[in-house]
Amino acid sequence: MIAALETAWLDASPAVQDALRLALLLVPALVTGALALRGQAPGPLVRALLLRFRWTNLLFAGLMALSVGLGVALIAQERAIREGSARAADPFDILVAAPGDEIGLMLSAVYLQPASAPLLGGDVLDRLQRDDRLTLIAPLAFGDSHAGAPVVGTTAAFLDRIGGPLAEGRVWEAAHEAVIGARSPLALGDEIAPAHGAGFSADPQAHDGAHLTVVGRMAPTGGPWDRAVVAPVEFVWAVHGLADGHAPGAERLGPPFDPDHFPGTPAFVISTRTLAGAYAARARHTDATSMAFFPGATLSRLHLLLGDLREAMSLMALAAQGLAAAGVLGGLVALTRLFARRFALLRALGAPRRFVLAVVWAYAATLMGAGAVLGLAVGAVGAEALAGLVSARTDLALSAGIGWAEAHLAAAVFSLTTVLALVPALAAYRRSPALDLRAG
Amino acid sequence: MTRPFAPARFAPARAAGAFVPDLLLENVEVLAPDGRPILRVARLEAPAGTALGIRGPSGAGKSTLLHVVAGLLPVASGRVMWGDADLAAMTEPARDAFRRARLGLIFQDFLLFEELSAQQNAAIAAAWAPARDRAAIRARAEALLDRFGAPGDRDVASMSGGERQRVSAARALACDPAAILADEPTASLDRENADRLAGDLLAMAREAGRTLIAVSHDPALIASMDQVVQVVDGEVRG
Ligand SMILES: Nc1ncnc2c1ncn2[C@@H]1O[C@H](COP(=O)(O)OP(=O)(O)OP(=O)(O)O)[C@@H](O)[C@H]1O
Ligand SMILES: [Mg+2]
Repeated sequence: MIAALETAWLDASPAVQDALRLALLLVPALVTGALALRGQAPGPLVRALLLRFRWTNLLFAGLMALSVGLGVALIAQERAIREGSARAADPFDILVAAPGDEIGLMLSAVYLQPASAPLLGGDVLDRLQRDDRLTLIAPLAFGDSHAGAPVVGTTAAFLDRIGGPLAEGRVWEAAHEAVIGARSPLALGDEIAPAHGAGFSADPQAHDGAHLTVVGRMAPTGGPWDRAVVAPVEFVWAVHGLADGHAPGAERLGPPFDPDHFPGTPAFVISTRTLAGAYAARARHTDATSMAFFPGATLSRLHLLLGDLREAMSLMALAAQGLAAAGVLGGLVALTRLFARRFALLRALGAPRRFVLAVVWAYAATLMGAGAVLGLAVGAVGAEALAGLVSARTDLALSAGIGWAEAHLAAAVFSLTTVLALVPALAAYRRSPALDLRAG
Repeated sequence: MTRPFAPARFAPARAAGAFVPDLLLENVEVLAPDGRPILRVARLEAPAGTALGIRGPSGAGKSTLLHVVAGLLPVASGRVMWGDADLAAMTEPARDAFRRARLGLIFQDFLLFEELSAQQNAAIAAAWAPARDRAAIRARAEALLDRFGAPGDRDVASMSGGERQRVSAARALACDPAAILADEPTASLDRENADRLAGDLLAMAREAGRTLIAVSHDPALIASMDQVVQVVDGEVRG
């Protein structure tokens, strides 16, 4: 029986599993509701209480919505960052760099975070170019900037890989032509003079006289490359006073490069036709002089590392929800004291204690349910706002939509609070009607 | 007119001709929560169908007596017999059930739910009645509002005191109780409305053989009762 259930569970599609999980999380609320309301029809009285104290009720539902919304926004945001950063790493199949700091190199190549890295020389280039199972070999030359935006040198093939067909203009045909990212403030035809380095240490005088003309704009990639200026790698080498990767007088752009005139690059992006081929290529190009790695896998390890932090964050979010719910329920206990005379009246008119319990429970559950649903909306808006902030700082395109995880959180909080709503309900259940009837 | 009363089962509504139990209190003592005695009743009898008036100075214990008779207040000792049923010996849920099946209450300040219509107020018992009885309660409430001349579809918040008390009388009668218990029902009304309500209540009680127990300072209401007791200093005197 259990084994059969287990197989059925494993066979179910993720959406079915998520829907079932949501249903399971709502079971405590439904069971409590069924028990509390059985045989009673408290609807009109609950509506009367909701209307009579509408501002207080709005306040309670609003508090609940804020606390649920905060939790929802946080987990939606965390997932969006995870997915957004993974999407940005997608075009970078395999990175080849000098042995050492994988994470630092991934941050430099994928997210264009400025950092200095040791260079790979002509020997590594030679070995890569002899490997006929590679479908792409693109040096990445980063470290320069223009007006705060990174200037990256690479090949036209990688430009196509990361952005697909251009949104505007054309690919460079000469070393002094550049293509800009989708969100760059520059326009086609602009002329720029890249500065050496990035940030505060950028030196605008270092590359005296070297100019780039913008001739094309990439389609959005969803990553920091959207703000970059992408130039032929030959240009970047030339402005540093280095050989341009080709025999003198060759006058060409892009691969193959000449190992004898190769000035060095911090990283290559390489690709293979198949996944199995990628694993083999990674092994072939990892040795004493170079390391090859999947940035996607490095990112996953980073996410995994942060997973514990995430867990702690969700626990804290849940604890915050619990505290907020407890506060709201405490308020409801106080509020039901205000209703005491009405409940005493109901009892005097013949209502059983269970009816009073049903009224208080339905009233509290309505507020909590409204708070949870409102909280999802607040969370969606909050996540969107947070995503905007994070996008502006990281250049990651984030879509922080409300998914199953958020619905599950709201359902769990709702279920918990409806069970807790029994506290004010039982408090009202136990009060003596004769005492409350005379309390004017 | 009286028949034996089976305490375990209370028929939800009195079918025509169903019986009204006699009321008998014996050696009843009621204590305040602090232990101070607030009411003593050596013996008080109200045969079925009696209109019993209760008067006395403020703070004497009249409301307390009515609450005991309604089973709202537990007693420290003694018997509170409605027919064969002793409220003093019952659990709280059993007293609730008895009150639900047999008694209708009216209060001085009406105690209506302002957010509900007159019709919803009068038929409030439908909210906790078994589903099969709800329609009958609503129909009775409607008929009673008509009979008392109270507008059923208006919000009670917009009603005068006289209209409100007529709604609360309809509410008390909607479950066809064997006895009507009223605590100063006319005290918030002007003379004309007070007389009209007193007349209606007496008529409703008389025509169905119901017991009517009314606490009142109103000499006109007291004068129209069959029997009057006085409560003074927590003691009931004949
Ligand atoms: N719960 C209580 N705690 C303490 N004292 C109480 C309580 N209930 C009633 N009493 C006291 O018992 C006495 C009788 O009260 P009760 O309300 O029955 O008087 P009453 O005759 O109805 O007065 P009134 O005409 O003003 O309505 C009063 O002195 C009151 O203070
Ligand atoms: Mg009184």
